[in-house]
Amino acid sequence: MHHAHIDKFAYQDSPVHRLDSRVKFIVVLVFTAVVISLPRTSLSILVCYAVGPFTILVFGKIPLRFAFKQILLVSPFVLVLALSCPLYDKTPVTVAFGPFFWQTSLGWMRCFTILGKFVVTMLALISLVSTTRFSDLLTGLQKLGLPKLLIIQLGFLYRYIFVLIDRAHHILRARAGRTLRNLGFKAELKIAASMLGSLLTRSIDTAERINIAMQGRGFSGSWHTLSKLEIRRSDLLFALSAAFFIFGLYLFVRPLLP
Amino acid sequence: MPRAIEIENFSYKYPDGTVALSGITLSVEHGQRLALIGPNGAGKSTLLLAMAGFVKGTGKVLIDGLEINSKNLKKIRTSLGSCLENPDDQLFMPTLFDDVAFGPLNMGLDAEQVKIRVANALQTVGLAEMADKAPHHLSAGQKRAAAIATILSMAPEIITLDEPDGSLDPRNRNNLIKLLAVLHQTLIIATSNMNFAAALADRAVLLDKGRIIADGEAKKIMSDSKLMTMHGLEAPAKPNSWLPEFR
Repeated sequence: MHHAHIDKFAYQDSPVHRLDSRVKFIVVLVFTAVVISLPRTSLSILVCYAVGPFTILVFGKIPLRFAFKQILLVSPFVLVLALSCPLYDKTPVTVAFGPFFWQTSLGWMRCFTILGKFVVTMLALISLVSTTRFSDLLTGLQKLGLPKLLIIQLGFLYRYIFVLIDRAHHILRARAGRTLRNLGFKAELKIAASMLGSLLTRSIDTAERINIAMQGRGFSGSWHTLSKLEIRRSDLLFALSAAFFIFGLYLFVRPLLP
Repeated sequence: MPRAIEIENFSYKYPDGTVALSGITLSVEHGQRLALIGPNGAGKSTLLLAMAGFVKGTGKVLIDGLEINSKNLKKIRTSLGSCLENPDDQLFMPTLFDDVAFGPLNMGLDAEQVKIRVANALQTVGLAEMADKAPHHLSAGQKRAAAIATILSMAPEIITLDEPDGSLDPRNRNNLIKLLAVLHQTLIIATSNMNFAAALADRAVLLDKGRIIADGEAKKIMSDSKLMTMHGLEAPAKPNSWLPEFR
């Protein structure tokens, strides 16, 4: 079965794809931290910040439609949080945009700021994941000092999440093929529990076999990989440009902030 | 020179008490291609696991003259490579390169040697261009070939393959036969597909209910349709026409 992988554009070739994963990771981390720390009234500044990830997506040849589709997939969680803001904070505020101004509540301001920050930081994250192979990202994280055990866990998660999704699809299909009438909530719940149990048992079996495959190839507890990362001039140039953009914009707009 | 595999009166029971293997005595010479044939549940996979030291029963198992015990295990697993039934279990690293490099790195080889071994192994299985791909981006046939590459990179003298033809279409199966036919290693192939076994093996061991039923020349055993039917198998369609094509 073919999945719409989150990293399906990571195997393309572009100047952004060729950048070192460590540099890209640190830039996205700093960018996210700065965007999150912007005050709640800085909606127009968020739009300026959105230029950064958009540029990366365009240079990385990542379709914007794909990026927004990914954002939509995870948006329900944030939407619930954002849309609850106008309900509990109804303090009136006046918003001005050039010669135009109108009255709204602080809750709505918060709501749009949360959504704006979510979209901008998600765009940055998608631009990182879509222009960096997961294996390179893991190697980069390892080089940056993340614990080896965490790297191994992330590697296994990435490798087997699709196998698990496939299995879940097969089980659901097998059930759908034999579901001829509605059995009622209680019975359906029981079936769902059995399906989950079956998935868990199979996962344990898979883990045992992977352990055999690892031991069969000499694994004795210590993890060895060949690192292929190196910082080049283009990486330094990218890091400098990103720093100039992130902090320059912040310093430029800071006096304008209320 | 010691034999590649020497098993003496080996028996093994599953934790629930079911007998998986009973009184197995078998010896395999270096360079031999042995087909371990038998119906489902005959004990083929368990016997392969026993050869790699993953199941411990009673009796003796020697690999290249070394008895399986914790002291010899590392050496044994360098000379005997096990290819599991499901390639998804064998390919656990984020990229094909990392997967094929996993064994050589554990052997303690330096980076340059590892790179050469990976390149050679991927070249042998025809996946040289796919080194940077993630395993879940490979087709079923490519995954099978990649699983074999993970073993080849360790340069073992003996390779065990558990149902290597499972879930492969005829084209991929033929490609796999061509790939295995050129390997110089001792091959132990567990399969219930007699056409596949006939195309590769010079010797066959028929296993049923954990016991060895027959052991001898592959063509002779597999063409005995009465024996095959009695043990839930079938004689290969054209036992003689397969061999010249691939070997």
